Amino acid sequence: MLLSRSGEITRRTLLRRTGALSLAGAASSYALGLAGLGELAAESSGEDYKALVCVFLAGGNDHANTLIPIDSYNHAKYSAARGVAESVAIARDKLFPTALNHPDEQTLTDDLSYALAPTMPQLCRHFHEGRMAPLLNVGPLITPLTKQEYEHPNTTSYPRPSKLFSHNDQQSTWQSFEPEGSTIGWGGKIADIAMSSNQNSMFTAIGINGNSVFLNGNNITAFSTSASGPIRMYPVIGNLFGSRKASDALGTLLRQQYGHVIENDYAVANARSVEYSGFVADRLKNAPSAADFGGSSLSKKLSTVAKLISARRDLGTSRQVFFVSMGGFDNHSDLAAKHSGLLGEVDAAVDNFYSALSSLGVADQVTTFTASDFGRTLTSNGNGSDHGWGGHHFILGGAVKGGTFYGTAPHVSTKTNDQVGNGRLLPSTSVDEYASTLALWFGVNPSDLSYIAPNLGNFSNPDLGFMKIPKGTGHLY
Amino acid sequence: MNKDKLLVEEPCVHEGISDTGPVSQPSPKLLALKSTSLASMACATSACGGGSSSTPPSANSSSVGISNPKPSPSTSDDELKGITELQRQSARAVLHSSLAVDHAILRKIEKIGFEKWLDEKMPVQNDISAEKYFSSNGYDIVDENKFWVRKQYFDYMIWRQLLSGGNSVRKRMALALSEIFVVSVSTIDMLWPAQAVGAYWDLLNQHAFGNFRDLIEAVSLNPAMGVFLDTCGNIKGDPSIGRVADENYARELMQLFTIGLNQLNQDGSLKLHNGQPVETYGNNDVEGLAKVFTGYNLDYSGLEFSTDPVAPYKSFPEPKLVRRPLTADPSRWVREGRGDQHCYEEKRFLGISIPAGTGARESLRIALDTLFAHPNVGPFIGKQLIQRLVTSNPSPSYVHRVAAAFNNNGEGVRGDLRATFKAVVLDPEATSSAGLIDPKFGKLREPMLRFAQWGQSLGAASSSGTWQIRDLSRMGHLNQAPFRAPSVFNFFRPGFSPPRSQIAANGMVAPEFGIVNESSVAGYVDFIWRTIKGDPYWTEDIRADYKFEIDMANDPVKLLDHLDLIFTAGQIRPRTKQLILSAIEDVQIENSDDDESKLRRVQIALMLVMTSNEYIVQK
Repeated sequence: MLLSRSGEITRRTLLRRTGALSLAGAASSYALGLAGLGELAAESSGEDYKALVCVFLAGGNDHANTLIPIDSYNHAKYSAARGVAESVAIARDKLFPTALNHPDEQTLTDDLSYALAPTMPQLCRHFHEGRMAPLLNVGPLITPLTKQEYEHPNTTSYPRPSKLFSHNDQQSTWQSFEPEGSTIGWGGKIADIAMSSNQNSMFTAIGINGNSVFLNGNNITAFSTSASGPIRMYPVIGNLFGSRKASDALGTLLRQQYGHVIENDYAVANARSVEYSGFVADRLKNAPSAADFGGSSLSKKLSTVAKLISARRDLGTSRQVFFVSMGGFDNHSDLAAKHSGLLGEVDAAVDNFYSALSSLGVADQVTTFTASDFGRTLTSNGNGSDHGWGGHHFILGGAVKGGTFYGTAPHVSTKTNDQVGNGRLLPSTSVDEYASTLALWFGVNPSDLSYIAPNLGNFSNPDLGFMKIPKGTGHLY
Repeated sequence: MNKDKLLVEEPCVHEGISDTGPVSQPSPKLLALKSTSLASMACATSACGGGSSSTPPSANSSSVGISNPKPSPSTSDDELKGITELQRQSARAVLHSSLAVDHAILRKIEKIGFEKWLDEKMPVQNDISAEKYFSSNGYDIVDENKFWVRKQYFDYMIWRQLLSGGNSVRKRMALALSEIFVVSVSTIDMLWPAQAVGAYWDLLNQHAFGNFRDLIEAVSLNPAMGVFLDTCGNIKGDPSIGRVADENYARELMQLFTIGLNQLNQDGSLKLHNGQPVETYGNNDVEGLAKVFTGYNLDYSGLEFSTDPVAPYKSFPEPKLVRRPLTADPSRWVREGRGDQHCYEEKRFLGISIPAGTGARESLRIALDTLFAHPNVGPFIGKQLIQRLVTSNPSPSYVHRVAAAFNNNGEGVRGDLRATFKAVVLDPEATSSAGLIDPKFGKLREPMLRFAQWGQSLGAASSSGTWQIRDLSRMGHLNQAPFRAPSVFNFFRPGFSPPRSQIAANGMVAPEFGIVNESSVAGYVDFIWRTIKGDPYWTEDIRADYKFEIDMANDPVKLLDHLDLIFTAGQIRPRTKQLILSAIEDVQIENSDDDESKLRRVQIALMLVMTSNEYIVQK
């Protein structure tokens, strides 16, 4: 199914095709995708559902200890750069179990070979089984930039994202292409386009355990659940201190609006909670046990996502965008002690999630991808690293063309032209291209990609190639 | 204008969103209805007659920008007889500047006036410090309880502080400062974390009404802050192996604690150059300033060590370790190691140069003096204080007045926090009744402040004496707890505006909406319900007996007026009051011994007051 930004086109076409105003059940959302709009090759599940799941690693993930050079030449450079004496570098012999054997036809910069951090054996396995793709040195850019241009004082001719190296601004930039203060994220824009495919469009974008600019669109308002699912207002549902009248009064006063701006918006939040949380909670009651896995905090959040996906027909959704985040990555200190544990948590959580999706029969229909404020310095400050820029990320799912690297591997150096000091990477792939590749798979019409990522035209690869993009959507570039 | 009448618009009551609600499968309706934000449900001033409607009004949220509310007097003197105008004004001022208000305070203010009350109140120290709390309750010892790792004792301590006793004005300011100079016990990794962050709370209380220059020095050398932002253990760079000084504290000191990211005018607005904001610092400044904060570590000198009874090969120092400033003297560290780790290179930042060879103490002095002198500090800190205490969207001139007080307290002193605080809460914009009918004035009350107000107002008590409340920052609870922000960026950002909202449409910010969503608002309703019910599952230790309120239960109007006054300073609208009154009166009181029904009346009244949007939004 091709999603069009203009819902009008989709509906008119629908009317021509089905001659009916009403939708009835998931089967009809498949019907939306038929004949001439560029339909998908038939999925084995016979159902046209897709979801994007963003796993945001908050704090700035240390990319250099996540994807680590394992060939001896580059590993030596990596060790030296990270400070030999009190090294935060991971020893080469620890890396063999998680070495990533990329295809012979692929040659990386300086003939690099990489390993994942030793605590990421599952992602290593997924790589070799062809469903995990690493994307190298991706970060926010306005336009491609050389080091010389970056260092040039004329920032008008050579623009770059503002407030680089600042956590809150870069989290915002990754999620919305603008620093803190921006209100519209690219996940929300994808949801804007997707919402007309959903019978219950209010569940197009779902955030787990907190608000994010990522999921806010021009039209869509994200729905929020806690890490363990939606929370319901019990005193509104039942009696309040034994009184139905009091309970009714509560339900009323929570939602009434008098004209005070701040009160009104809070009343709206209350109303959405009463109406939507109950609906969703009811539909999650019978979530299959496959979707109910425990584990770490991140794992539990992904379990909630899995349950929501398992309830997609009951929720009336066929295109969804999810956002979960995990903190702790700002490893200025104790990098060696802490980071491997964090990565282990990510590895286990996304693996649990993938297994659940597989059991649910939607492994090919859900794509999970990581993001972070920034990468970090290659140099260390003694026991940690500082804020960087470009970093490496992972995409996982049945529709991913995994087992090979995407993007351009950076030199392992603090002196080359692909870094801007202390090994902070100058991104060679933009978040715009990352976003557009995911959006294309999701079904966004190529002509709508610039809505998702306004600067996309400045870059050369709206399709980075790491997704199996279904037949009929076409590769127009 | 009759000051006793609270002027409100004709209210609109929307019962629900039945037509845009979600559908169960299979159901034929609702083809491609967009997710109308319920901002569309808000009524323009005169459009709504109230009651439920079958079709949602205009979906355009920007059409509800409210610039000229039509006030219509819908109150009568009779309905307001319980609350005088003076009480309203006094309670309002107290709720701007403190944790709670009661009748004793109101009577005092009636006699001496609010400013005098503040002047008497502000210098008073708290009845118990965090340090005293921990030591007197036996939490500072090394035994099988592992007090040296468990963070829950911090929560016990802080709720003891906020729910009861002490100087609530000082604590309100300290709490506000904790949301600017953020340290989070949730993510901190150190020995005696509860005691360390407790010592940081004590520091904020100690300096709350002192001088800003003293505050930032104390903060910079505080162990909890030192561990949180990596000053502790920060060593000088070594170019030969490519190591550089840790930049974490230097960056956040500038970005969050003193000058912010962009040059500001004194009224808080951005200074523009060719239409663009001007950054206050760049990466070079961070790298230069980072050198100042090198060579510090925890001061172990003279500490007593105790053996872990469970693992006798381990011993731990006393918590004094985390209660005194970091030191740059290596002879006082746990291991002298390679000696002095301070960077003696030239340190350049913000246009100044600290000469090569300058040591830690002098470098720190110069660095903090430089930051303190920056003209940004007054508006940057002043505006945030206004946002924590009074209103999210102060006018530029309000910010200007507060910044002016920061710049000069009237006696030539810069950085006087007492003068700054007074400027915030005594400003005409804070006290004027115009704010009460301005649809844009005020702020969302933070969840942790709502709970503190419950405790203080209703005389909450701890059976154990140690106030055993666990971490309430989960979404199913308060979704916020003191010193438990997810990061140094606090729970929410000062410039946050909720998307697709009336707030945004009116060009406003509402920081506290950063943690508002469908689940957190439900979590609050459930939390406050269980709290009032007396069976919260996050504590078995805290009770309020509501005696004062129960004694009024026979007179629902008096009961409601009382709660209205002490919780919202009398800001609940008559129509809401009527709704609450009907619910209270619906509970019949059989006879004078019917304590159960009296309690139910009080609980219903309290619940409905604390969930009313007039309470949720402080004006």
